[in-house]
Amino acid sequence: MRPPVTKPSLAIIWVIGLLAVIAAAAASRSEGPLRGYLPEDNAAPGWTRDGEPQEYEGQDLYTYIDGGAEIYHEYGFRRVIVQDYKNAGGKSVSLEIFEMETPAAAFGMFTFKRSGKGKVLKLGGGAELEAYYLNYWNGRFLVTLTGFDEAGETIEALGAMARAVETRIREHGSAAAPALVSALPEEGLVPGSVKYLRGLLGLNNIYPFYTARGLAFVEAVKGVYEGGAGLLVLDYGRPETRAAAWTDLKGYLAGSDRFKPVPPGDGGLAVFLDGKGLALAFAESGPRIIVGIDADAARASRLARLAR
Amino acid sequence: MTQKIGRREFVKTGAKAGVALAVGGRLAAAAARAKAVDVGVGIGADYEKAALKAVEVLGGIETFVPKGAKVALLPNVQSRHPGSFTKPEVLRAVIKLCRKAGAKEVNCLSWQTMKQWEDTGLKAVLDAEGAGLKLFEKDESLFKPVPVPGGQALTEARVLADLYAHDLFINMPITKDHAGNKFTGAMKNLMGLNSPVSNRTFHRPNWKTDPDDVAHLEQSIVDLNKAVKPALNVVDATEFITTNGPFGPGELIKPQKVVAGVDRVAVDAYCAGLWGLKPEDIVQIKRASEQGLGRMDLSKVAVKEARA
Repeated sequence: MRPPVTKPSLAIIWVIGLLAVIAAAAASRSEGPLRGYLPEDNAAPGWTRDGEPQEYEGQDLYTYIDGGAEIYHEYGFRRVIVQDYKNAGGKSVSLEIFEMETPAAAFGMFTFKRSGKGKVLKLGGGAELEAYYLNYWNGRFLVTLTGFDEAGETIEALGAMARAVETRIREHGSAAAPALVSALPEEGLVPGSVKYLRGLLGLNNIYPFYTARGLAFVEAVKGVYEGGAGLLVLDYGRPETRAAAWTDLKGYLAGSDRFKPVPPGDGGLAVFLDGKGLALAFAESGPRIIVGIDADAARASRLARLAR
Repeated sequence: MTQKIGRREFVKTGAKAGVALAVGGRLAAAAARAKAVDVGVGIGADYEKAALKAVEVLGGIETFVPKGAKVALLPNVQSRHPGSFTKPEVLRAVIKLCRKAGAKEVNCLSWQTMKQWEDTGLKAVLDAEGAGLKLFEKDESLFKPVPVPGGQALTEARVLADLYAHDLFINMPITKDHAGNKFTGAMKNLMGLNSPVSNRTFHRPNWKTDPDDVAHLEQSIVDLNKAVKPALNVVDATEFITTNGPFGPGELIKPQKVVAGVDRVAVDAYCAGLWGLKPEDIVQIKRASEQGLGRMDLSKVAVKEARA
């Protein structure tokens, strides 16, 4: 005999329904918000997805990039999705879409990862195709495609897949470089040499001062000029913060056996010679410390004054 | 043969091994025997032959692996991007050498994932050559506290306990760029034996603001090397990334060299020079040399290069 429908039964149905909704939401979350940006099969003709995508959020990045996650976190990392593709010829390509916290973070990681010597592509906020990989950024997203060989079909696939991702990333309009980049004078600036930094780890890869003293900047940018001179602009947010930082940094430089003070350069700038014979000329301007770097102290000083 | 080892399995099979690792006695004897050449370098497009040649010019594998020995190997499987992991050909060569010397058992030890071993092609080599793969869970009980004599940053390391169930250990890194300290080679590879929890302490939270913390990672690596000494280092310098390390993708150079030696500092100093770095600029190499782990002055090291 079928039992009569009772109120408790209805309650159970409601609970089951509620659980189903929660489960669906959880499933949606587990798939992650970046899946929608993955190209479908044959977005690059002949290339299909190989296996399931992997997704990592926040501190889980250490699971994916053991030993190399710190730099992403320094810029500001949210999540990444990784999907492999293969073709009938047995070639493979790996696609990584990194969602950073801000467009500046995505731009920064892009400048950190590109060599500046690759082929520039018109894609998003900027793209560079290297011998076997491609980096591009747009909005909060940094896209890295890696081929596992340098065959023509693989390299073609990198471009095709990057374009396929680009059509899916809808954050156009936020692909402008951070304002600090404009602190680098344009004349003589080597295209592709700009590195945008958000912390000491990035700076150490560009110019190691071997200290943290006076280097708690908010953001920084470095460019290389024709002839090889470098210009580093450290922005501390406020003039008084910069002043305190400069006192600290100058004290370190004066006391370090790695640096030797030399007579003031043009305009009375403080100049130090490092162990490799490079002169560092320091200028101050509002919230910024500007550092000209060159083997020729006069040239380093001129560059620093120009940026000031 | 692959073993996935958690706490339960280790208690059953590994505990009886105790601290039988003859890392002290046998390895010191091996180091003493390998006097004629300090750093052996095999060169050639056939990377397996280059690896065989590197060990040959160093004095031959019998110098390091006694008959009947149980050998632990530590290749780098950190990433599958080109130039970021130890080449399968190099691993194959070392396994063959161990067999030739009459090793009873050859095992790779790792707390990385099976996917990493498969993606890098190293698992296929182990299967083909009949060597073992012991994959350990990231369970702290599987790591043995090892005192660090003269440790400055670490008082103790936490090393995979199963290492001590082997007679000797061959370190098999790839040399490459590292965003944290610019260089990775023989010394840094030992982090692959140390527990992930302990490794995290290498990156202290205040390193961006505390000037005394800047070199903490480097000193921790040096200290770890005071606790564990490989019988032999065979470093893959065939093709490796010089930017965007340790994970890549990055700029790839192809010196086509395999570098072997007992002196980790000398081996790392030689490898650093392959991509234009000065050993004294790499803090871990400089400190290791100063603290007596080896020699970074290559003018005082017998280096022998031979084409395979």
